[in-house]
Amino acid sequence: MAVERVFDHLRAIATGAKYLFLKPRLTLMYPDEVEDLPRGYRGMITYNHETCISCSLCAMVCPADAIKMYLPKEVPEGEKRPKRYPGINYTRCIFCGFCVSICPTFSLQHSTIHDVSFYTFEEQIFRPEEFAKGPPKPQYDKEPVKVRVIPDEERGLRYERV
Amino acid sequence: MMDLLDLILQPWIFIPLIFPGLTTAFLVLLGIIWAERKIAAKVQMRYGPLYVLKPLGGAIQMIADLLRYLFAEPIIPKDVDKLTFIFAPLILFGLSYLPTIVLPAGPGFTAISSEMSLLILLGLLTLSPVFTMILAWGSNNKFSLIGGLREGYLVTTYEIPLFLSALSMAVLYGTLDITAMVEAQKNVWGIFLNPLAAIVFLVLILISTSKFPFEIAEAESEIVMGPFTEYSGIFYGLVMGASYLKLYVLSLLYALIFLGGWYPLPSFLQNPPFLAGIMVFVKGLVIMFIAIFMRAIYPRYRIDQAIQIGWHKLVPLAILSIFLSLLVVYLGGV
Ligand code: SF4
Ligand code: SF4
Repeated sequence: MAVERVFDHLRAIATGAKYLFLKPRLTLMYPDEVEDLPRGYRGMITYNHETCISCSLCAMVCPADAIKMYLPKEVPEGEKRPKRYPGINYTRCIFCGFCVSICPTFSLQHSTIHDVSFYTFEEQIFRPEEFAKGPPKPQYDKEPVKVRVIPDEERGLRYERV
Repeated sequence: MMDLLDLILQPWIFIPLIFPGLTTAFLVLLGIIWAERKIAAKVQMRYGPLYVLKPLGGAIQMIADLLRYLFAEPIIPKDVDKLTFIFAPLILFGLSYLPTIVLPAGPGFTAISSEMSLLILLGLLTLSPVFTMILAWGSNNKFSLIGGLREGYLVTTYEIPLFLSALSMAVLYGTLDITAMVEAQKNVWGIFLNPLAAIVFLVLILISTSKFPFEIAEAESEIVMGPFTEYSGIFYGLVMGASYLKLYVLSLLYALIFLGGWYPLPSFLQNPPFLAGIMVFVKGLVIMFIAIFMRAIYPRYRIDQAIQIGWHKLVPLAILSIFLSLLVVYLGGV
């Protein structure tokens, strides 16, 4: 019994020692290496203003109340009941993709962009006009290496250059 | 110039100032914390510190951290006992480093040569935990108080077996002088004569410097930073460094009384005598490496489990190790 416990300790230490010299690591060296994201990745939302029919379904379904319908900034002349169009608040969005699924005209799509930072809270609220311009592009110092994640039986994950 | 060099090479200056004292202790402090983070990272398939001097794997990360500690604002909370809060870390750091003066750096190369140097060292080691408790009390914070109490419990747990296992070696060599203890190991290292004391002492190093699996007083995931919760800036640097300094002192002591000190001594290190300290230092580094390696392997014991290990296992084993020493002495001694 006690002897077994001693062996357990030794086994734990041996495992640690083994991993100390095992070369490959799981860290993705992020700004230098960037993951090549698969199709269907739920990143920030792109919005096509041309095809949107202002049906409000996206705002209705959004579980986080991230999408709101906005009146246009300047209402065109003679327009009695101007249409409302969706804007998004990225401080609330949980990237669930419900809005993308429900949009009858496929005006909302996921991009693969997710690594963007903002200085202020207000910058993260996109009115329909800015929403239509698409999410901001991430800025890298130098062009990152694209890698793909491969499941590995022994280590769990492995990265492979694309 | 030569006079100055001669002066520095006097043992009573060399030992407190160069090795094993201030300079080496400081370099070890910078190196060991980096190594700890790096080793834990490697075992967990990460990189650890990397971007400060990337070609050397972030080796000067700790210098960057030190600068940050130095220039960060030390916040002194409103409700703390100011005098205690400021002075306890300074005294704690000083006392953790103080025992180095008793350690010999080579054969006959001691700052304080005393027949009782082992006892002096053990006595000096007991002073610093008191200040951990004092600063925990002075912080006026629940986490600090809990951490300080845990430290107090652990002190009562580890100190008795620590002394017993160190003194069992004194029984074995028939002396309390560390230099004489090393000389007695010229042929056979203490670890082979009394492996029981060696194992007990190694575990107690882990407990007394709160390394994993006994990192109970600080327990980041439970009580923030234990006794040191309220500290920031350079004060935090001091209190954190203190436990590593203690590890450094205990590792050197371990190298001296269990791993043969400067024996086997290669001929190119024999003259001048302080060069023998390199052997002691290398052995001490191995012990420090073992102590920090545990972080990557073990989770943390609960306080009651640690105390149980101390009183139920380590105290009887330490007493047994004294009998083992007596047996070895009876069978012929060293
Ligand atoms: S992804 Fe989900 S949370 Fe984000 S806007 Fe669409 S529906 Fe709302
Ligand atoms: S669901 Fe699609 S079409 Fe309807 S308002 Fe939203 S974006 Fe426009």
